[in-house]
Amino acid sequence: MKHTAFNIQHSSPPALCLLAFGFCLLTSSGAAAGASTDLESHVTEFTLRNGLQVIVYVDSSAPVVSTNVYYKVGSYDESPGHTGISHMLEHLTFKHTDMYKPGDFDRIVDSAGGNNNGFTSENFTGYYEDFAKDRYELALKIEAARMGKCVFPDSEFESEHQVVSEERRLRDNYPGTELWEQYGATALLVHPSRNPVIGWPDDVAHYTAKAAREWYHEHYGPANAVLVVAGDVRPADVKAKAEKHFGGLKGVPVTRADYYSLEPEQHGERRITVRKRVRVPSLIIGFHSPGIHDTAEFFAAEVAGSIAGSGRTSRLYRRLVTELQLATSVWGGNSVDRDPGLFQVGITPKAESLIPQIEQVVQAELDRLGTELVTERELQQVRNQVLAGEYFQRDDISDMAYLLARSKILYGDWRAMESYAPGIERVTAEQVRDFCHKYLVPDNRTTGILVSAKEDR
Amino acid sequence: MKVTSYQFPVSSRRSALASWRSWRPWRLPLGVLTSAFCLLTSAFGLPLYRDSLPSGLIVLTYEDHRLPTASISLVCRSGAACDPEGEAGAAAMTAELLTRGTATMSGDSATSLVEFLGASFWGRATGDYIELGAQVLSKDVPTALDLVSDAALHPAFAPKELELARSRFLSGAQRIKDSPNRQVDQEFTRLVYGGLPYGHPNYGDTLSIPLIKREDLVSFHGTYVKPNNCFIVAVGDVNRADFVSAIERRFGSWAPSPVPRPSSLTPAYPDRIKVKLISRSDMNQTYVEFGHPGITATDTDMLSTRLMSYILGGSAMSSRLGITVREEGGLAYDVRCWFDRNVLPGAYHATVQTAKPKEAIAKMLHEIALMHDSGATSAELEKAHNYYTGSFPLAYSSSDGKRSQVLAMELFHYGMDWLDKFPDKIRAVTLDQVNRAAREHISPGRYWMVVLGPVTKEDLGLTDVEWIE
Repeated sequence: MKHTAFNIQHSSPPALCLLAFGFCLLTSSGAAAGASTDLESHVTEFTLRNGLQVIVYVDSSAPVVSTNVYYKVGSYDESPGHTGISHMLEHLTFKHTDMYKPGDFDRIVDSAGGNNNGFTSENFTGYYEDFAKDRYELALKIEAARMGKCVFPDSEFESEHQVVSEERRLRDNYPGTELWEQYGATALLVHPSRNPVIGWPDDVAHYTAKAAREWYHEHYGPANAVLVVAGDVRPADVKAKAEKHFGGLKGVPVTRADYYSLEPEQHGERRITVRKRVRVPSLIIGFHSPGIHDTAEFFAAEVAGSIAGSGRTSRLYRRLVTELQLATSVWGGNSVDRDPGLFQVGITPKAESLIPQIEQVVQAELDRLGTELVTERELQQVRNQVLAGEYFQRDDISDMAYLLARSKILYGDWRAMESYAPGIERVTAEQVRDFCHKYLVPDNRTTGILVSAKEDR
Repeated sequence: MKVTSYQFPVSSRRSALASWRSWRPWRLPLGVLTSAFCLLTSAFGLPLYRDSLPSGLIVLTYEDHRLPTASISLVCRSGAACDPEGEAGAAAMTAELLTRGTATMSGDSATSLVEFLGASFWGRATGDYIELGAQVLSKDVPTALDLVSDAALHPAFAPKELELARSRFLSGAQRIKDSPNRQVDQEFTRLVYGGLPYGHPNYGDTLSIPLIKREDLVSFHGTYVKPNNCFIVAVGDVNRADFVSAIERRFGSWAPSPVPRPSSLTPAYPDRIKVKLISRSDMNQTYVEFGHPGITATDTDMLSTRLMSYILGGSAMSSRLGITVREEGGLAYDVRCWFDRNVLPGAYHATVQTAKPKEAIAKMLHEIALMHDSGATSAELEKAHNYYTGSFPLAYSSSDGKRSQVLAMELFHYGMDWLDKFPDKIRAVTLDQVNRAAREHISPGRYWMVVLGPVTKEDLGLTDVEWIE
């Protein structure tokens, strides 16, 4: 689907969050050795004079190339009243440049047998074209045009504005969306993660072409972007072609605000109830959780999240679904990318009337994690899952391109992805207990509930 | 079972195929035909093998050693289309419970083992098949095979697991009502197929799920999960000879038996546009799906129909529908159309979600009728050719892509040269064939249509239609 917008912070299932950090050194569990130890030999990195950072990942197992440009802009950078403008701009940048007319990008890519898309997230906006390897230069040409040469005629703005408004409405009609948005804005008071990536409905309704142009000129330069070319390519060839297509663009450094410590401490539980026309209730329980700079606690939170809510053997699934049969599904985990965020548990109760009991059971299980040590087998299971997940992710060059770019943008170095598994490996049972004891407490909790509106009961 | 050990050259596609053609297993005495063996060098130079056990179980092994991972699927050629009358969801629940315990291992034990390894193990159903699958590191392939074989051969269908599954399925069925897209699609499916095999939800509904009994699952498994009705697909870091030997050890005593087939009746076309309107005043957008019966995945017009459908509505941005409704009209985020690819005749679908349903529907009906009447242009066909042939390596580059391509190849009996020849077959489709597909497989004015949203009949501006109350 073209132009997806998603909110990493609010919507990613925890298992994906856990694995999203990419692959890394093999340090344990006796699994097949050597998959990621040679990552350095597959990656070449350089920077053009205009500041465009380029990462080349060589994987010649298939004659395809994924070309990706990630801009360091997303909902993280938006101010109140302008939420979702990055996503609106992402749509507009598929339309018109000095050389291309509306629809040309897609026609060209389709005609060459490629796939292309764009997406907006909290921390970056990405575009990609996947082609057979003999035509990947076409992708560089398209992305260079998108980087420097987009124009936004008023006449084309309104039609795309309507498309984005329809995309916003698509979410409005899913009751779960409203729960997530209201819950996120309740748990986080000021950090930009409280805003949906697609923007609040009223903001979406009032975008202007002028605001989009300004956002583009401020953020869409080579000095604010990362180009990742992954697949069956030669780094020297990529370098020459990148110079050819992007080298002439002028780069102006962009300073990005850092909201790492923006969110105030929470001193008491918060609750939000959404009443909609729904048949199946939902429950989300979240706790403020430390960011990546608090390294030891961050990794302890990752492990705790997996043990608490990842898979059918997780403590909460076993308790709520298998043993007590109060719920039909449970997931949980630490949803933190970089800044302090939320440790979250999501539950599908079997009935609305069971929600109070479920809340008690969840807190009791989390309290137990905060007082008793987890087992060595539980720790080893998390390590094994991280290791295996890294291999599975490496199967897809598009996923690899995403992970490399993500590490570069969030942590300043693609090699940061290699520190995840060692970080998990070092976590002790005591650290997990201490994290849970400190953070997974009622005063640090936000609870979101979706139940049926009275007239539908 | 004996497994032949012929190794055709893999360095050259031409020589591999030449060797395959010269191998004529039907000339051998029947008693010697224990393994029909074929080799195809894929588009990426990776070997794909097809072996068969005397029981009829087919084993497809696609060796890809770039990562120490493997995915293994056991596919049974009977899916939700074989659900007994009134028991929609029986196939899916059977698939689910196959992963939830055997005669010697509880469901929880199996899950503990799988999750400890960082692997996954699943059972799922489509209209055409149920699949028992595992994704593992290659060092754990023997464990995965133990799990899959034990599940397929000795499922427990424990009452406790059945009730847990029933709760999950019921919750899922209720949730469809909370998802307008899925609700519309479910209603559309019911209208198109009526009481025919694809006419009920694969995972059942709130009426059928409570009625499913343990005996129904035992019966479904006993009737359909037979070696002569199954095939295994392995993709990844496996060695074909070792893998087939391992399969033989685990499945060698599995006895074949005749398997019934679902009704292959073709669903009927409505004589005019028949519309079911579901009014929902609480929504701010209208969801529309319309269409009519389609063709089978093995229809001789399948490729020409795919190309035509791609030109008409394959992309929300660059197809005719996408340009008219989204890019020029600004009426929707997503609009598209497609033909199902099923064993039995599927459906032709067109969908849109919009705040302006009257305008969007009118434009869609016009564009589809135009394609029917006037056909595509040679430029459009060239673009479609390029898209399908160029994107083929992309669809094939990941293990998951390989698995799904091989699964479809075997499910639809396309033959071992299908993957190799697909680009040529696409290129061979002519404009006349595409335009004939438009004339013969699209029937303007004879649609089933479901509309869900904050609208009345009058709001839609539809004339000469029959409203389904």
